[in-house]
Amino acid sequence: MRRFLQSDLFYSFRYSPVAIVSFVIIVFIILTAIFADLIAPNNPFDPASLNLMNGFTPPMQANDFTGETFLMGTDDQGRDLFSTILYGLRISLFVGVMAVMLAMLLGVMLGLVAGFVGGWIDSFIMRFADIQMTFPSILVAMLIYGVAKGILPPEVRYEMSIAVLIMSIGLSEWVPFARTVRGSTLVEKEKEYIIAAKMVGLSRYQIMIRHILPNVLSPVLVIATITFALAIIAEATLSFLGVGVPTTKPSLGTLIRIGQDFLFSGEWWILFFPAVTLLAFALSINLFGDWLRDTLNPKLK
Amino acid sequence: MPTPLLQINQLTVTLKKRQALFKAVDNLSLTVNKGEILGLVGESGAGKSMVGSAIMGLIDKPLFISSGEIYFKQRRIDTNAQPVRGAEISMIFQDPLVSLNPLRTIGDQLLETIRTHIPLSKPKALERAKRLLKEVGIDPARINAYPHTFSGGMRQRVVIALALAPEPSLIIADEPTTALDVSVQAQILDLLKQLCKHRGTSIILITHDMGVIADTTDRVAVLYSGRLAEIGTTYDVLKNPCHPYTKGLVAATPQINGASLKDKLFQIPGSMPDLNNIPAGCAFYPRCTQAVCQCEGEQPALFDNRTACWLFDKGAKPK
Amino acid sequence: MLIIIFRRLLQAVLVLLFVALISFLIFRFVGNPVESLLGQEATVAQRAALEEALGLNDPIHIQYADFVWRALQFDFGNSYRGALPVAELILLRLPATLELALTSAIFALVFGVIAGIYTAINKGSFLTNFILSSSLIGVSLPTFLIGVLLIWIFSVELNWLPSFGRGEVVSLGWWSTGFLTSSGLKSLILPSITLGLYQMTLIMRLTRSEMLEVLRQDYIRLPRALGLSSRQIYVFHALPNILIPVITITGLQVGSIIAFAIITETVFQWPGVGLLFINAVYFVDIPVMSAYLLLVGFTFVIINLIVDLLYLAIDPRLRDTELRSEV
Repeated sequence: MRRFLQSDLFYSFRYSPVAIVSFVIIVFIILTAIFADLIAPNNPFDPASLNLMNGFTPPMQANDFTGETFLMGTDDQGRDLFSTILYGLRISLFVGVMAVMLAMLLGVMLGLVAGFVGGWIDSFIMRFADIQMTFPSILVAMLIYGVAKGILPPEVRYEMSIAVLIMSIGLSEWVPFARTVRGSTLVEKEKEYIIAAKMVGLSRYQIMIRHILPNVLSPVLVIATITFALAIIAEATLSFLGVGVPTTKPSLGTLIRIGQDFLFSGEWWILFFPAVTLLAFALSINLFGDWLRDTLNPKLK
Repeated sequence: MPTPLLQINQLTVTLKKRQALFKAVDNLSLTVNKGEILGLVGESGAGKSMVGSAIMGLIDKPLFISSGEIYFKQRRIDTNAQPVRGAEISMIFQDPLVSLNPLRTIGDQLLETIRTHIPLSKPKALERAKRLLKEVGIDPARINAYPHTFSGGMRQRVVIALALAPEPSLIIADEPTTALDVSVQAQILDLLKQLCKHRGTSIILITHDMGVIADTTDRVAVLYSGRLAEIGTTYDVLKNPCHPYTKGLVAATPQINGASLKDKLFQIPGSMPDLNNIPAGCAFYPRCTQAVCQCEGEQPALFDNRTACWLFDKGAKPK
Repeated sequence: MLIIIFRRLLQAVLVLLFVALISFLIFRFVGNPVESLLGQEATVAQRAALEEALGLNDPIHIQYADFVWRALQFDFGNSYRGALPVAELILLRLPATLELALTSAIFALVFGVIAGIYTAINKGSFLTNFILSSSLIGVSLPTFLIGVLLIWIFSVELNWLPSFGRGEVVSLGWWSTGFLTSSGLKSLILPSITLGLYQMTLIMRLTRSEMLEVLRQDYIRLPRALGLSSRQIYVFHALPNILIPVITITGLQVGSIIAFAIITETVFQWPGVGLLFINAVYFVDIPVMSAYLLLVGFTFVIINLIVDLLYLAIDPRLRDTELRSEV
C-alpha cells in the first residue's frame, strides 16, 4: 500500500481532477450496485412485490391510487425506478465484468500461444483476428447472440439470456487483448531469462504461464479498463435493442427502451434517470480509461 | 552611411512556459545593408533561427516578441510582417526534402508564388517560372514534375527559385545546406550567392558552419545564448576574433592545411546553458578561460561596436 | 501499380470467401434449411426428398461451393418468417439503409473536417475548447442514447422533426427514395445526426491532429514565408496533405456506420436492413442473419478497395513507385 501511495501512478492521480472525479463516480456506482438489496426500497425483480396500480407514478409525488411515493417515480409496470436502476446496474456490471474476463482470458491465451508458438498457428489466429476486427464488435456480438440463440433449444433460450449475452460481448472483444499480448510475447521470448528457462528444461507450458505471462500483463490492465467501458455500452445497447437481458430483469438499456415508448405521453422520468445514470457511468469509465492509458503508456496516445 | 535595408533594434524574443519567461533572443541589434550577405552563426539553440522567424513575423506561441523593433526600408514590420513576407523578404529552410509540398508539382507551387505577388497572366507567369528554373540550373521541361522525383540538391534549387520568384530584396537562408551532401553544399551556396549578387538581393545566412561563413558572407554576427557575442566584417572576425567564444569557434573549425590535420581539433569545454539557466552576467562566463571580475555578475555591453566581452572594456581588471 | 490493385483484389476475394464460409456454417448448421422450407408438419419422406434435392447429403465442401454459387446469384434462401426470399426482403429495405448511411457519412465527413480544421487553426479559442470538450462527451455516449435524447428534444419538446419512419417516399423503379419529399428529408435529419455523430467526432479529432502536424511542416512554413495568404495555405497546401488519413478513417468508419445503423434504425423505426437484421436476431431467423453477414462483408471489402484507389488518385508518390528520384 505504501508503495502504491508513493508510485508515479498515484502521484499523477492526485493531480488529475478528471481522474479523481471519474474514479469517485465509478466507485460510487459500483458500490450502490453491489449493495443494491440494502439500499433499494423494494426488489423490482420480484413479481410479487409489484403493484400495477403504482404504474407511471411521477418522481417524488404520491400515487393517485395507492398514495405511495417514489424517489424517481415508477415505470409502466409499477416498478420503483430507483430500485430498478440499482438492480439493473448490478446486472450491467455483472455482464460487463464477466464479458471482460472472458475476452481477457481468451485474448491473453490466444495471444500468448500465437506469439510463443508462432508458425501457422500464429498466422491463423492473427488472420482470424484481422477479419473479425474489420467488423465492428457490436455487430459481431449481435451475430454471436443470434447464433447462440439459434443453437440453444427454444425452452432454455430465455433463462440463458444473460450467459449468452456475456458470451457474445466477450467473444466480440478478445482481439485487442490478443494483439497486445502477442506483441509483448514476441519481445519477451527473445530475452535471456526465457532462454535460461529453456536450458533448465522447463516445458513450453511452464515457460508460457510462469515466465512470459506475468511479464506481458501490464498493458492488459489498460485494455481491460477500456474494454469494460465498451462492454457496459454494448450490454446497454443490446438490451435496448431487445436482444439482451430478459425483460423481467431490466438493465439500464431496457429501461431506456421502455422510457422511449413513454416519452410522447409525458412520462419523462422513465427515460431520464436511467439515461443520466448510464451517461455518468460510461463517461466516467471512458475518462478514467483515457487517463490510465496516458499515464501508464504515454506512447499509446 | 546609407540607411540600412533591415534594422533590428534591441529585439527580445521571449518563451512563455508555465508562467515562467525565458529569453530566447535577448536585446539583439543588427543591420543588413543592401546587397550584403550577413552571416548569423552560433550553436543550435543560440537563437539564430528565431531571429529569422522574428523578421518574417512567423513567431508562434509560446514564443513572442516582448520588446524591440524591426525596420525594413524604414518601415516597421515587427507589428505586421504580412506585406513584406515573400514580396520583400523570403526565406529558405534547412531541409529541402520537407519544404516542398509533396502533393503538388513544382511548377504549380512556383506559379502560385509568382502570381500571389506579381500581377501576371498565366502564360507570362509560366514563362517566368521556366526562366527561374533555368537560372537555378533545372531543366524547365521538368516544370510539371512532383518534388519526390528530385534529389535533395535539386529540390533546394527549386526552393531557391521559389524564394527568388517574388523578387525580394532580402532572403533569409536558414541553414540552407546543412541537410545536403557535402559535395552539393558548395554548389548551392555558390548558386545562391551568384543569383543574389546579380540581383542586388541581400542575404541573411544562418548557419553553424564557420567554413560556410568564411566562403560566403561579407559580415558576420556571432550569437551565444540568444545574445550577440561579436559582430564585424567576416575578414576581421575570422582573422582577429575578439570574444573568447568566437576564438573558440574559429579554433574548432577544421582547416585542411598541413600541420593542423595532425592535431586534435580544438573543443570549447562545457556546453551552452539551457534557457532556464542563463548566468546573470556574461552567458559565456562558465566556459570562459579568460574571465574577469565583472563577467560573473554583470552583462557586458557591445564594446567598440564589435564585441560583448568585458575584456574589451577599458576599465577591466584581471581576476 | 496494377500489381498492387491485383493483390488487393485477391485479398478481398479471400476475405469474402472466409466470410462466406462463416455465413455458410451458420446457415447450414445453426439454421435448419429443411424446416424453413417445409414447415414443421412435413413427413419424414418429404424431408428426406428435400434434403436430397437441396444437396444436404453432399460432401461439405460441395455444399459450400454451392452456397457461394447461389449467393453470387443473389439466392440466400427463404426467411423463416413469412417465407419470403431473403434477397427480396433485403432489396426492399436496402435503399432506406443506404440513403441513411450516405447522408450520415457526408454529414460526418463535412462537419468533422470543418470542425477539425477550425479547432486546429484556432487553438485555444473559446469555440475550440467548447467543441473539443463536447466531443469527448459525444464519444462516450452510446449511439442509442444520442438518438433517444435527440427525439426527446426535437420531436417531443420542440416538435420540429419526426421521431420515426422515413416520411413519404418516392419510387424510382425498385429504389424508394426519401430524398425527393420534404417529409422524407425531414425524417432523415435526426437519424443521420445520431448515426454520424460518433464518426464526426472521430474525423474531427483526426483532422485536427493531422492538421496540427502538417502546419508544423516546412512545406507549410515555406509558403507562409513566401507571403501566400492563410486561406491559400490552408486550402491548397495543408488540406491535400491531411486527406489521406482522413479518407482512410472515413472509409473504415463506413463499416461502423453500417453496424450502428442497426441501432439507429431501431431507435427511429427506420425501415432498413438493420431493422430487418435485429428482428432476425430476435426471432432467430437464420437465413436473414447469414445473408446480412455476407452483405456487410461485401460492403466492407468494396469500401476498402475504393479507399485504396483513392490513395492512388491523391498521392503522386504512390502513383509511380518505379520512378524513384532521379538525380
